[in-house]
Amino acid sequence: MNRRIRWRWRPTSEEAKAIGDKFGVAVESTPGRTVLSVDRARVKEACVAVSSLPGYYHLSTIAGADLGDGIEITYFFWRGRSFFVVRTSVPKTDPKLDSISGVLPGATLYEAEIQDLYGVIFTGSPYTGKRLLLPDKYPADAPPPFRTEADPEKVRKLMQLD
Amino acid sequence: MIDENMPRESEEVSAGLMQYSPENVMPFGPIHPSLKEPEYFKLVLEAGKIKEVIPRIGYVHRGIERAAQDRTWVKNIYLFERICGICSFAHSLGYIQGVEILTHYEVPKRAKYLRTIVAELERIHSHFLWLGLVGHWAGFDTLFMWVWKDREHILDIEEAITGNRIHKSYVALGGVRKDLPDGLKEALLKELVFIEKRASYYHELVQSEETLSVRTKGVGGLTQETATRLCPVGPLLRSTGIARDVRVEDPYAAYDEVIPQVQSSTDGDIACLMTIRLNEVLDSCRLIREAVEKLPSGPVRNPVPRVVPAGESCQHVEAPRGELFYFVRSEGKAGPARVKLRTPTLANIMAAIEMLKGRPIADVPIVLTGMDPCFGCMDRVAFVDLGESAQWTLSGEQLRQYGIEYYRGKR
Repeated sequence: MNRRIRWRWRPTSEEAKAIGDKFGVAVESTPGRTVLSVDRARVKEACVAVSSLPGYYHLSTIAGADLGDGIEITYFFWRGRSFFVVRTSVPKTDPKLDSISGVLPGATLYEAEIQDLYGVIFTGSPYTGKRLLLPDKYPADAPPPFRTEADPEKVRKLMQLD
Repeated sequence: MIDENMPRESEEVSAGLMQYSPENVMPFGPIHPSLKEPEYFKLVLEAGKIKEVIPRIGYVHRGIERAAQDRTWVKNIYLFERICGICSFAHSLGYIQGVEILTHYEVPKRAKYLRTIVAELERIHSHFLWLGLVGHWAGFDTLFMWVWKDREHILDIEEAITGNRIHKSYVALGGVRKDLPDGLKEALLKELVFIEKRASYYHELVQSEETLSVRTKGVGGLTQETATRLCPVGPLLRSTGIARDVRVEDPYAAYDEVIPQVQSSTDGDIACLMTIRLNEVLDSCRLIREAVEKLPSGPVRNPVPRVVPAGESCQHVEAPRGELFYFVRSEGKAGPARVKLRTPTLANIMAAIEMLKGRPIADVPIVLTGMDPCFGCMDRVAFVDLGESAQWTLSGEQLRQYGIEYYRGKR
């Protein structure tokens, strides 16, 4: 009874194309998603451009992921039947990114979460240097818990939990 | 419940978010470990009114996203379900939809309808739970008793359909775990008549009962402009007049055939949150009835291979509290490479903070309950008043009594 289904292809809208042209990159469109990959220096600009598109693009969340030598940061904006995804990555040696919480205060807690779990510093965020999720006892010199190099056992010892 | 390792207020504030002197900040917490989603708020008062709120969350952050990377696709269904005891079905549904998209296999229609029915039952029981809590914090305990008694009817029906009251484990990769038992359709429709009757009664009650209207009318108040900046979700967003519902805008399960009505209002206060949620309960009853009538025959589960091809998917579902977001990334292995989820409460915290500003302390419980975070976690609250420079401490129950007395004096 199984049959493979074809997902409805959603073509890149004019708006998405315009934004892609503005940033000089091709927007990649998959069903339900339009992905704009930008350099980290232009992330704030890209988020402002997407969130000010007509029809209220709602910032669903910001996700972090460990790519090995870098941290990938993904912003999900939702409207209607698709997501507009703004994606960038920062190297682990210099994990810094402009905060968008000044222009979109709804992003404050999402950024603080990534800062705690992946150690990415968002310049201009009210949470810079503070913690939202991690316990105060979490050692400052240990790698943030969601990075691949983080070793829970070592952290347990450092926090004297055993 | 004082944690010795917690930093002293002065230390925390000097490194803190806002540059207030230590005596201006009051801790709102620590948190009772037996309740889920504890959050710690520091409230800054000026002449009895709240000036600033500083959240500090993560007390029960257990690194589930990281744990998911070490588990298989199927085991994760049960892991994510345990994030929340109230919207457990929404969590497993959001995750499994993300996985199913990656596998490119279709879910049988009957399973989609059954998923819709259970999701709506969950919405009713969650909204009833919330209404009971609002009654409790407003000093109307009779409402609390009534609503929670009625909620048992829904839990019983959920148990009859899925086998469990709370952690239903009902979804399975490619469908649902089991079919509707024989003769349950009639029992379900009979219960719906009862629930509808009760919900209509509560609808009338919350608008006419003075205790509730004194405590909730004009309390909170979020504007549309603030909402677009702070990105809240669910009833909180809809109370500002932005009629957004994932079920309607981005239909999943059987919501493209059983179409919900978006409930919205423009008042933005707690009173209108009650009406919105009760309207949603009534609408859910209609949806369940419609889904049961239209329920197609056929299998409830398609076998889906346990190896998920590499790819990414973003899925979201409308949990009772609002948009619940799941991002799933596969690298073609036995388990996910990354799962990111965002619960509605996290999205709503910023908006709740905005709602608290300028309100008296008496409104703290009701406003925080208003955003529906299952917020019974007010174990001890210490207050510092900027104007009077007095300091006092209240337990959760004392705070509730204080709120009741405050409004009794005003009436």
